[in-house]
Amino acid sequence: MFTSTVAGLAAGGAYALIGVCLVFTYRLVSVVNFTGAAIGAVGTFAMVMLREQGIPLPICILVGLTFGTVTATLLGAVMMKWFAGAPAQTKAAVTVALLVGMIALGLRITGGQHPRPFPDLVPGAAFTLAGVVITRAALVTISLAFIFTIAATRFLNHTRMGLQLRALSERPVTAELIGIPVRRLSIGVWAMAGLATTIALMIIAPQRAPNFLTFSMLVVPAFAAALIGGFRSFWFTLAGGIALGLLEGMAAGLSSLAQFRSAVPFLIILAVLMWSQRRARWDEAR
Amino acid sequence: MKKHYIFSAALASTAIFASAMMTANNASAAGPTCTDGKIVVGAVSTITGPADFSEVPKAAKATFDVVNAAGGINGCKIDYTIADDKADPQVAAQSARDLVENKGAVVMTGSASLLDCAVNAGYYDKQGILSVHGLGVDPVCFNAPSISPVNVGPYTLTTAVLQYGSSVLKAKNLCGIFWIVGGTDEAYPAAVARWEKVSGQKFGMIDLTLPFQGDYTPYVLKARDAGCDAVVMNTVEPQIVQMINTADAQNITGIKWLFLAPGYTEQVAKTLAATKQEIYVGTEWEPYTDSKSKSNESWNAAMSSAGMPLTAFTQGGYESATILVDVLKSIDGPVTRESVTAALHNLAPVNNPLVGTPYTFGMAASHASSQGTKMVKLESGAWKVETPDWFVLPPE
Repeated sequence: MFTSTVAGLAAGGAYALIGVCLVFTYRLVSVVNFTGAAIGAVGTFAMVMLREQGIPLPICILVGLTFGTVTATLLGAVMMKWFAGAPAQTKAAVTVALLVGMIALGLRITGGQHPRPFPDLVPGAAFTLAGVVITRAALVTISLAFIFTIAATRFLNHTRMGLQLRALSERPVTAELIGIPVRRLSIGVWAMAGLATTIALMIIAPQRAPNFLTFSMLVVPAFAAALIGGFRSFWFTLAGGIALGLLEGMAAGLSSLAQFRSAVPFLIILAVLMWSQRRARWDEAR
Repeated sequence: MKKHYIFSAALASTAIFASAMMTANNASAAGPTCTDGKIVVGAVSTITGPADFSEVPKAAKATFDVVNAAGGINGCKIDYTIADDKADPQVAAQSARDLVENKGAVVMTGSASLLDCAVNAGYYDKQGILSVHGLGVDPVCFNAPSISPVNVGPYTLTTAVLQYGSSVLKAKNLCGIFWIVGGTDEAYPAAVARWEKVSGQKFGMIDLTLPFQGDYTPYVLKARDAGCDAVVMNTVEPQIVQMINTADAQNITGIKWLFLAPGYTEQVAKTLAATKQEIYVGTEWEPYTDSKSKSNESWNAAMSSAGMPLTAFTQGGYESATILVDVLKSIDGPVTRESVTAALHNLAPVNNPLVGTPYTFGMAASHASSQGTKMVKLESGAWKVETPDWFVLPPE
């Protein structure tokens, strides 16, 4: 059982990293972004499709990262232009619609079920733990999740731009009135999160089912992680993501639980929602 | 007396004339006839939605087009309609009813769908219409009196691939990791049980919980820790690539990976060119990548001249269409739903170079006539045929 739990570490790192990006977007531009992972998928597929044309890998990576960032920027611009003043639910619904569109288009452009040879950007094994080979890719993903968590926390709490961004997310109109460049900052947040997700997906791509749909749906476990952090705390999101990966691994090892394995994120989302809403229900009841 | 004689003579000559006329009529009716000069044939296939099987009915259409261009069957043109069920049960049911009741289809041919069998097998049975299925996917396709697929199907193929693993590759501890969709949770264990009966060996670890997406590391390790020396899997292309990449990352050695027909594509071979794992795939038809194969010649020529791709799917469409054309040619008299159904019920086993065992229909309650596979092995980015002769399962 320990073996299968450790086996979930790689997945956990990916969930954590994407989860942290989701919290970053939510805290700064108050959008629950369902397209989070799909943005990364755009960049990752751009990379592999160029690679198949025989273009040198570093150039493909650069172009892929640019694609991911530009896609995020475009989505950010759309959200800012038409839905800046909309309530959070509306914005979330818009990103769901965008996700559906991106998946349909992405599957068509990338050839549906036909797999593509994703290059191992971080090849090789780091070490063996409990009979599980921990790959360098898994280690890098987890480290990136940590680095991004620390960077995000420091950026928000200790820089002037972070302060402006917090003002922006809490009182957008006031922020704009006191001269904060709202639009530029918001789009910058989208671009940053897009870049980080693209890096994460590029690294984990060879170990996942290589198609646009499965990449885009990585957003579900990442949401569960973000919920554990209450869409506020980066550290809890990080811990939640890794715990989720380990839990999934453990469930796969127990034959009685294995068939419910893919339901783990949903169970956690449900549990967290019920817990976080308990006060509201009680207050209403009183 | 004389009068009587004349009358008898007249009667006799009339009788002779009439019988001569009837013989003449019979002579002109030898072979199929049709009203409006057409024979309506239908197919219900998944074209849009989660999967695209359109190549199967399109290959059937290309085959019919050639027959029509040469004057049709005894002057009757085949009027072939392909309906897209969008993998939606309601649409599948409506499409079948439209083809049978409105368009007046006499037989279904070249269908390839995720759910046509499950949704429509009972309806076809009730309407007295049969389906020469191009690609059977769900278990009902192989368990209905109204449907006889031309392909081996994932369940028989699981047994065949396992049998190849134990008898040729000499695997001692065979395991299975299955991805269960729809009502397949009984079909795969049944396929494994059939192998146990055929081989007399006991099956190793079986896992029916593989998710469509997620990390496969725990599953690879489970197979390793159970001491499996061969693992059969029923996943499709992206998941096969993921499984093998995960096995490589975990430095797995000594496991032979046995996949079913969906893994037999050039993209999988190219993507996994650098793997250290030993990979085998069971095919449903004569391996299409084998350009030198004599068995592929007529199919190859037909598809190339129609501009169709050379894939396993077009083999299925071509085979089902050629079988139907021969069945239609054998009918004497009007081609109706009843006469086609009777012809298929009385069909003698049809040998086809694309498959290992003859195609049959008949009155059986279930059909799985294709019981043979050819195994291909992945070698440096290309598929190599391991069994030049068909690897055929012994009858149940």
